[in-house]
Amino acid sequence: MRQLLTLFLIIVSMSVSAQSTEVTLGTEKEAWAKIDILVKPLEVVSGGEKSQQHAEFVEAIIADDFRFSGLFNVITDTAKQDTSAVSFAIEGFLEGRLPGTAVTKAEEAPLLTLKLVTWPEQLLIFSKRYRPTSDKLRTTAHHFSNEVITYLTMEPSICMTRVAFTRGSSDRRDLYCVDYDGANLKRLTANRTLNLFPAWSPDGSQLAFMSYREGQQGNYLLDTATGRVRVFSETVGSNLGPSWHPDGQEIIVSLSKTGQHEIYRLNMAGRILRRLTISPAIEVSPEWSPTGNDVVFTSDRSGSPQLYIMGADGSGRHRLTFEGRYNDSAAWSPSGDNIVYACRENDLTQIVMIKATGEDRQVLTDRSWRNCEDPRWAPDGRHIVFASDKSGVFKLYVMDVLERSVRQLTFGGEPDTTPDWSH
Amino acid sequence: MIRTILLLAVASLFIFAGCGGKATVEVDDNPVEAEVVEQVPVVPEIVVEEEIVPDYAAMAPIELGIDDVFFEFDSYTLSEEAMAVLEASSGIFKNYGNFMFVIEGHCDERGTVEYNLALGEKRSIAVRDYLISLGVDSTKLRITSYGEERPFASGSDESAWSLNRRVHFARP
Repeated sequence: MRQLLTLFLIIVSMSVSAQSTEVTLGTEKEAWAKIDILVKPLEVVSGGEKSQQHAEFVEAIIADDFRFSGLFNVITDTAKQDTSAVSFAIEGFLEGRLPGTAVTKAEEAPLLTLKLVTWPEQLLIFSKRYRPTSDKLRTTAHHFSNEVITYLTMEPSICMTRVAFTRGSSDRRDLYCVDYDGANLKRLTANRTLNLFPAWSPDGSQLAFMSYREGQQGNYLLDTATGRVRVFSETVGSNLGPSWHPDGQEIIVSLSKTGQHEIYRLNMAGRILRRLTISPAIEVSPEWSPTGNDVVFTSDRSGSPQLYIMGADGSGRHRLTFEGRYNDSAAWSPSGDNIVYACRENDLTQIVMIKATGEDRQVLTDRSWRNCEDPRWAPDGRHIVFASDKSGVFKLYVMDVLERSVRQLTFGGEPDTTPDWSH
Repeated sequence: MIRTILLLAVASLFIFAGCGGKATVEVDDNPVEAEVVEQVPVVPEIVVEEEIVPDYAAMAPIELGIDDVFFEFDSYTLSEEAMAVLEASSGIFKNYGNFMFVIEGHCDERGTVEYNLALGEKRSIAVRDYLISLGVDSTKLRITSYGEERPFASGSDESAWSLNRRVHFARP
């Protein structure tokens, strides 16, 4: 029996990975055959109506996680939806009541068991038992989705990720962060000034960002566990676009302390390790490649802002973009294959994706999106987050770059800009 | 203050008039009254209730007569007009040579946040360098950029954009 299951899983895994190799960005909308998965209602063993509500809450989060991954067709109603292609199901049960927010100790918390089973055979693939306190219910649901998606697709899952961004206008812009599904909005700064360009450290423990103090720009580090902020680099002139080296030991910035904007590598003490550009032009928006071997950045040395790539020591500099009079805000995909950026044409800014080799340029948004800026990759290499003023005010949106489907991430009347997706 | 002076003036006129009347119309046969008249001061004392002297140190540069300068889209080159404005202002900078000034670069909303912050700084550098060439003390000038983040005019048309592409002078 166990051998049979293992064999079955190997076949499934092989078919999934075979599908993934067929994916060619943008050439075919449905290049990826999605996995049909059934999310069954959780069984409520005890706890009454309150437990029933919590069970439904967990089911809804898990179903959304599968939908938002872009890799699954989610079936929740076996009576109304076609289950013929379903090969996996999520099931589980909840024991014990969650009395509002009163439960903070794990031993008093209810028992939540979640299982991944084959369908229709209902053979157990794995199960997880949790004791979530009330405040951990959402994260617990994401954790299980994360395990299942990683297991079934062998792709990095984004269920546990967050998006940091800037909210507000004029002199008051604070850092916020939100779960990747739009829930759990948190404000991170309240210092009555302009805070921009949050950037997650690779381990998620810190956010580097730019802030104005007494009219002077500086780069700062915010400890995501404690909320404490410390100065990272504060020199005369611009301190723009902190971007982390993939090893988490360096930050790359644009400084104008010489009177010219140049790209510098700084160590975590804020000391300059290396200056990578020397030019009277504007050189900004540096971003490391996922290997840390190359840097993509913006320079107006040709007379208009264009993207360039150079080695980590500043050598081998070459121009990446030739179309469009205004290109900026490049972000390198986790696989290293693609770069997304903002391109301004005919008075509107749109999101463009291009191979790191400079080939296969595709405009991902259209004029119905008005201005789209600051694209950043999710760690799954399939989604991007960007700011658009489609609704009249800049809000954040998440796009599946394969399907080109978009969902709105943030809401409300204040402008949201400069997002960054945690790793 | 003016009111106080007026009151004093009216009072003294009245007293002088009374005094003059006594001197010409009536024969003085009452020495006590005459003594009282002599006690009134000839030059009335002016009480200053409030004094206003302009606090130049607290005044915004525009109040000192330093005007903002404007730019073309995606440009940090000073126009002839901008140079003329700066030339006119350079004397004022020198007059208030002990004051610090912040040269703020601003951009219109078009384009990206990051590039516009750099562009705004290029504008402030262009203005600072020109002021230095006109003899303004470089140590009294500080530059910063707000990019497109602090627009002066709202709206998404050229009339708003042209107002927002500027270098604005502020005090630290």
